[in-house]
Amino acid sequence: MKCRNLLLVAAGLAIFVSGESFADSVKVIANWSVKTDAISAADLKRLFLEERIALADGSHVEPVLEKNGPVHVAFLKYLGISEDDLETYYRTLVFTGKGSMPKELGSDAEVIAYVARTRGAIGYVSSTASAEGVKTLTVGDGEADAERKLTFSVKPVYPETLRKLNIGGTVRLRVFISAQGKVEDVRLLGGNPILAEAAVSAVKKWVYAPGRSRSIVVVSILFEGTE
Amino acid sequence: MQIHGFASQGFVYTNDNNWLTMNTSQGSGAFTDFGINASTNVTDRLRIGAQLYDRNLGQLGEYHPSLDWAVVDYRFKSWFGIRGGKVKTTLGLYTDSQDLDFLHTFALLPQSVYPTDLRDATIAHVGGDIYGNVTLQHKLGDLSYTGYVGHRSDSEYSGYRYYLSSFGAQIKSYGGLQYGADLRWSTPLKGLLIGVSRMNEEITAKGSVVDPLNPGAGLVPYSEFSKADWTNQFYGEYTKGRLRIDSEYRRYWRNQEISDSTSESFADMRGWYVSGAYRICKRLQIGSYYSRYTITNVVTGALSALYPPATDTNLPANHIYDKVVTARVDLTKFWNLKVEGHFMNGYGSGPYPNGFYTQVNPQGFMPNTNALVVKTGVNF
Repeated sequence: MKCRNLLLVAAGLAIFVSGESFADSVKVIANWSVKTDAISAADLKRLFLEERIALADGSHVEPVLEKNGPVHVAFLKYLGISEDDLETYYRTLVFTGKGSMPKELGSDAEVIAYVARTRGAIGYVSSTASAEGVKTLTVGDGEADAERKLTFSVKPVYPETLRKLNIGGTVRLRVFISAQGKVEDVRLLGGNPILAEAAVSAVKKWVYAPGRSRSIVVVSILFEGTE
Repeated sequence: MQIHGFASQGFVYTNDNNWLTMNTSQGSGAFTDFGINASTNVTDRLRIGAQLYDRNLGQLGEYHPSLDWAVVDYRFKSWFGIRGGKVKTTLGLYTDSQDLDFLHTFALLPQSVYPTDLRDATIAHVGGDIYGNVTLQHKLGDLSYTGYVGHRSDSEYSGYRYYLSSFGAQIKSYGGLQYGADLRWSTPLKGLLIGVSRMNEEITAKGSVVDPLNPGAGLVPYSEFSKADWTNQFYGEYTKGRLRIDSEYRRYWRNQEISDSTSESFADMRGWYVSGAYRICKRLQIGSYYSRYTITNVVTGALSALYPPATDTNLPANHIYDKVVTARVDLTKFWNLKVEGHFMNGYGSGPYPNGFYTQVNPQGFMPNTNALVVKTGVNF
């Protein structure tokens, strides 16, 4: 008789999520060469302040600015820095020989076009702009947090039809967790749609340990049919 | 290729004492500087650039341009990079940006820690730096470090050489080894940065001087050698919204053999300040700081009879206490105007200068000095 092993892998990627007010008006985009799908606001700040030149995986990134305007102002709220302070910061780098001014472009379209064709480029545009040719990154307002612990879980039900046909695979989900630990939302990132339906139904019942703020966790669930 | 530049012009009026080598008691506009730089990112990790700088500050600078910095910078990782050439020295919050008027709220940074007449002493070294940024575990913030070693050289038109000329010294060369490190921590408390810097120097001066013990004998060889020359600096910066608060403490210890090793000088200079700046609106900032500087000095050897110990920092000759208020108006994004008042007690004109020089105060010093500074600057 076949047995079912459901291997739950809470991937080590988790970030605090931000308030929705400015996240609604701006989105962070990246060239497809950028491997991550999500980035914390703290890391985003390090990249745009040129304190960091690469992501955790070692891939080089290049920040791109959109010239002063509402999108730029909204983006700076992610960084927690004012427009004037950022300007002063870049000028200090430039005039002391310790850095350079990032590329600055005039519109969403220019930013998207540049990011799309430039390896490692990371920028921001209005949330209503079409992000064709680039990837959109999820941004949080805190540090990466791989320590959000699962305290209660329900095993997904392996659909009988697929089990009999020995159809398995991995379902990847983005799980939105409240500060109290409740799963608020689950979004499918990839995997068989029927398996995904079972996975989402189970994960919605999960409970995490309370955290300091809302978090996003990427979870991979393996449906593995074996004799 | 990026090209940027800046220029500033100041006017200073003092009620008593001429300040910063200008004839400020009559009002002086001999307070000009400008610079231009070019830089380019050759690759993702390699950057090169250079900046020319020129200034006239009373008797200093005199419009003789200098290479301010010229660097080749390669960043291997976020946590490790190297830069070489003529590099701006990292010492406290503002040593490397002290000339860049448009970056600061104040027309003059606190002179206890950033004496503009002595910029050559700390501004740059010909050598190399290592630097990097590390994110700490457990959400403890970020650490940035810089380590450097190089050669410092004071120009012919620098403050200390001008000071030595008051003794009839003609200095042919002044400079030497400069090495140190800076470590700054962006703490988990949003907006709070604290740091510490250390700089060691081995300075040599060579030239000639009118024999202080026998002026009629004419010029005799003059030299200075550092036996111990170090600076410790501790600093903190806090920003919240439109408010910025800075504070720094600097101690500069200087033990030298002087006058061709016939004497030895022990000078201890300590300075600190607390400053606050607030942006009222996009175009207007106001700020204030309190700056405190003291100096003590003991000379031993042949010259001890000419220079009695100066150890009482309550005397105006051994301190400068400066209360400052300022307003900065940004007329455009690239053009600012500052109006600043200084209310100083003391003139700190000991064995190491700090703004007040006997050459421009031949009548002697008054204990208090009030100054009005008006300065405008542009940049692109």
